Amino acid sequence: MDVYEGFAYPLVLGFSALLAVAGLVTVVWIRAHNVLKWVVTAAYVVTLIEAGVIFFAMVGGEGVPGVITTGYLLAALALMPLLGIGRLGEPDAAQEDPDPNRPILAPDQIARVDGTVAVIVAVAMAVVAWRVFEIFQAV
Amino acid sequence: MNPVGRIALVVFYAVLGLAAAGRSVVQVTTKFSDAYLAYSVSLLSAVLYAVIAVAIWRGAYQLALWGTSIELAGVIIVGTLGYVESSWWPDETVWTGYGSAYGWVPVLLPITALYLLIQERWRDTLPANFT
Repeated sequence: MDVYEGFAYPLVLGFSALLAVAGLVTVVWIRAHNVLKWVVTAAYVVTLIEAGVIFFAMVGGEGVPGVITTGYLLAALALMPLLGIGRLGEPDAAQEDPDPNRPILAPDQIARVDGTVAVIVAVAMAVVAWRVFEIFQAV
Repeated sequence: MNPVGRIALVVFYAVLGLAAAGRSVVQVTTKFSDAYLAYSVSLLSAVLYAVIAVAIWRGAYQLALWGTSIELAGVIIVGTLGYVESSWWPDETVWTGYGSAYGWVPVLLPITALYLLIQERWRDTLPANFT
């Protein structure tokens, strides 16, 4: 738990702020989309580190409540596929879907979708990390 | 509907659905008898968020319109009852305090979604040469 409180939690919070800023900048200035893609890739790594630390705290016999912590662990992982969701609107991806209502996005729209989603996911990532921190504090 | 707004709405509803689903599953499975009304509302909101997310993604705007209308009514009714009849709510729901625990996203989101969905509906029903 000390590793979570001293390392993983500040890492996720700091990274959430970076992701939110990168997302906001991309919405305003779509050339920043390339930078956002790197930040999104790093977000996967940070979340994996967070998940690993939570998992080891759970199995470490430190009295962490299993059900609720597992729920937040799964939530942290479930947020990740939402990052970069703009790729689903690329013409190539949309053509493979028989659904006529599937949105097809122009490159600037893909960047804006990714930017907006990055902000939403950044807030959710921070909230999940904070809730896990509170659970660990209560143990 | 603007595709950027449409996908942003889908993601907002997916994240809220995830949060509400997690919360309600824990509440219903571990302490349902403590506050059955509040936890039932949490579960209902989770289902509603999931349905709306899928409906907007699949372009089923009629269903999404119904879903967001029910959602907004739910937020207003539950939020108001939380103050008027606080004894009915031994524990909080996603919609308690008009969604204050979730940064008021639960009340702002259906308003935004309704605005976009009604705009889309008008666009569909107006004649092409209407100015």
